[in-house]
Amino acid sequence: MADRIILTIGTKKGVFVAEAAKPRRSFALRGPFGPGIPVYSTLIDTRGTPRLYASSCNPFFGMKVLRSTDMGKSFTETKSAPAFPKDDGRALANIWSLEAGADKKDLWCGVEPASLFRSRDGGDSWDMVPGISNHDHARKWQPGNGGLCMHTIIRDGNRVHLGISTGGHYLSEDGGETFRASNQGVGAGFAPDPYPEFGQCVHKIARHDNAPGRLYMQNHGGWADWTGPGGPRPDIGVLRSDDYGHSWRSIAKGLPSDFGFPIVVHPHDADTVYVMPLEGPTRTCPGAAPAAWRSESGGESWSRLARGLPKKQSYFTVLRDAMDIDRLKSPALYFGTTTGQLWIGREGGEQWDCLFDSLPPIHNVKVAVV
Amino acid sequence: MGLAPIITIHVPGPLRAYCAGAAQLSISAHTVRAALEDLQRRQSALYRNVCDETGAVRRHLNVFVNSDNVRDLNGVDTTLASGDVVTILPAVSGG
Repeated sequence: MADRIILTIGTKKGVFVAEAAKPRRSFALRGPFGPGIPVYSTLIDTRGTPRLYASSCNPFFGMKVLRSTDMGKSFTETKSAPAFPKDDGRALANIWSLEAGADKKDLWCGVEPASLFRSRDGGDSWDMVPGISNHDHARKWQPGNGGLCMHTIIRDGNRVHLGISTGGHYLSEDGGETFRASNQGVGAGFAPDPYPEFGQCVHKIARHDNAPGRLYMQNHGGWADWTGPGGPRPDIGVLRSDDYGHSWRSIAKGLPSDFGFPIVVHPHDADTVYVMPLEGPTRTCPGAAPAAWRSESGGESWSRLARGLPKKQSYFTVLRDAMDIDRLKSPALYFGTTTGQLWIGREGGEQWDCLFDSLPPIHNVKVAVV
Repeated sequence: MGLAPIITIHVPGPLRAYCAGAAQLSISAHTVRAALEDLQRRQSALYRNVCDETGAVRRHLNVFVNSDNVRDLNGVDTTLASGDVVTILPAVSGG
């Protein structure tokens, strides 16, 4: 079954799985699994026999991790979900990120309140990672509008990058044993100090295997007109690092807004990066006309990709994990909306089509070729 | 303190999978707290759905003793009498 495209779609009412043959002409939809329960994170683990994971964030009965070993035809709960030690005082409120670790059964999980957990057995048991979960800053982080969430986990050899809203970017260079805030150049709009050591509302971070040291960040922008203490902070929303995340610089010039949630890198070109600009006050697309924006120059300039998308009266939000790109030769971009539409942008976003238009509000979209 | 009274815990439908399908559990406990501690020992999977890591009843669950929410009684320290029915229910919510 080579070259099937699998999409996991985490929604407010469970996780869906969509599958298509390589031409991507039509997708078959399965689900919802974990019906009625919000899913904020999914993972398509392609190491060995593919496994799908989804966080089932039950507001009544607590967090579960769902696992599928049959390509999303069925899901079952793992034996346990992350949980804080009893004497810790914190209680798990949400699971925001699931990422593959070093070996086949190694999984990493970012949660709310912002902490990191790790499983060595494919999700059946979990241990808290103390280097970040008990970091000196951890009790000083504040929740953003979506809660105090660890939403990004990027592994690069012994380096581990974490994105926390609102905590900022934290970097480990010893495999996750210790972490330090690494936010030089990352602005904050909601504090008198525009460039604090930590506490930034990072929305998403992305990298490319072929560009060592390069990282892209969608930060909480929208502060160009701020007149309060510290003055305006234009263009702090879209950033780039070329030194493994030690320092960051703005690449937001040319975008209609530096506010947004997701950021995605082209699978075959580290200079090509995609964002979905939103108006800061409303979190909806500028002018109610949605568009993805692409830079093919590492952020030096940007172009608008809107062919096939609504031209007006469109007021959805695309959340931080609701955009992804597949790895076919001519890759397709995908995004899901808070109004339940799933869009495909063929030819790297040149031509958009709506795959599904009446799903529940979409939190998360992941794609893999299996 | 004498022999603990025997009370019944009514398990809501979505949680029965965590206690072998039982709709009711019969246990001995002087207080709601003791009943939850008994669940922790004997029905740990069910307990994890009712209480978080700190031991607190999950935020969106209500616990009733007969027809009274323990919130209006003495919380989890509400005392129990023989024949009482403890009911665990998800709070009403929209969306």
